[in-house]
Amino acid sequence: MIETVIRKRIEILVDSALVRRVTDAIDKAGITGWSVLPVTSGSGRDGRWREERVMGTDKSLVLTISSIEKAEALVEVLAPMLNSHGLLLTMWDVEVIRGERF
Amino acid sequence: MDASLFAPFASPVILFFLLGLLASALRSDLAIPEAMAKGMSLYLMAAIGLKGGVAVAKSGVNAEVAAALLAGLALSFAIPVLAYAVLRSFGRLDQVNAGAVAAHYGSVSVVTFVTANEILGAGGLVVAGFMVAVLAVMETPAILSGLMLARRGHGGDGHSRGELLREVFLNASVVLLLGSFAIGLIAGPKGFAEVQPLFDSGFKGVLCLFLLDMGLIAARRLIDARALNLRLVVLAIAFPLFNGTLGVLVGHAVGLDVATAAALGVLCASASYIAVPAAMRLALPQADPGIYLTMSLSITFPFNILVGISLFAALSRLLAG
Repeated sequence: MIETVIRKRIEILVDSALVRRVTDAIDKAGITGWSVLPVTSGSGRDGRWREERVMGTDKSLVLTISSIEKAEALVEVLAPMLNSHGLLLTMWDVEVIRGERF
Repeated sequence: MDASLFAPFASPVILFFLLGLLASALRSDLAIPEAMAKGMSLYLMAAIGLKGGVAVAKSGVNAEVAAALLAGLALSFAIPVLAYAVLRSFGRLDQVNAGAVAAHYGSVSVVTFVTANEILGAGGLVVAGFMVAVLAVMETPAILSGLMLARRGHGGDGHSRGELLREVFLNASVVLLLGSFAIGLIAGPKGFAEVQPLFDSGFKGVLCLFLLDMGLIAARRLIDARALNLRLVVLAIAFPLFNGTLGVLVGHAVGLDVATAAALGVLCASASYIAVPAAMRLALPQADPGIYLTMSLSITFPFNILVGISLFAALSRLLAG
């Protein structure tokens, strides 16, 4: 039986223009890996939006997995931006193998 | 009535734009892939920069070029200040949104300029090549003016200052326009001949497809608009009329020819929807794109393409007697 451990999976929906700021925060929190995924469209409190790369209104999803301590450190750093820059941050527990990598 | 005012409506460039508007209004599933749209915008900027550089290599730099550059620079700083005052009073926008919208109206739309070049050229008015440099110069001062107005009395976000300056001065459209302008200037007509099949022969076709996409997006944004009200719609038409007239008058005052003064009018009348929104997402994330992008892209841009360009050409002809 392969052994698994519990880690935090964090998803951050962010304007593509701000992705670098989020990945910088992830690096500063000591988390070693992240992935950026394009998002094509959505709807929220301010109405619908779609990927419009010419206008720079496209959004991306930043994914990362970390220990709970590092996840908390990341949330601390990003908290001021959640309102000011309209970030959507969610996290939940996931089981991973090779837990020492996260 | 002057028949030349209606001539653009027979141009494929304008007809493709109208097709996009119509298709979106009728909820067609017609769409241009995003990567292709982005690629076309880069192609158009590179092509217009190259052609402008080659034209200046042929004509040389003189007092007229310096006067046009200074006029463009001054107008790009000043227009947001005027627009901001009207947006706060008549438009009833808050400080942040008024600053963001003002920045869009002080900056310029490359595609409006490119379309104006095609329409004016078809009417026998050839715009001076150095206007590409004026276009590039007018991209950024308005962003600074708009941000200063939006942040008056509220210090900025320290973390973003370096990023913002990089975005303002090194944003993709400024780098590509000025870079390809410099390449055209260095390469000259002989060097340009080698790449002419790509950057000249295909230019109008790509412009048609890009305007089809802009028509689709402009109508779609208007249909989805929630934050727009009648006052803002009125301003999105009044701004290009006032700013364009101002640009034509200044163009004639500094001694530009009929076509080039009309082009300066078009630049002043146009509102950015490529460079400025990206800067606003970084610097003024609280500003509502549903206001600034809908005004600039869904109202002002179609107005300029369908009416403004011909109007400023007619005004420029009138002033020249």
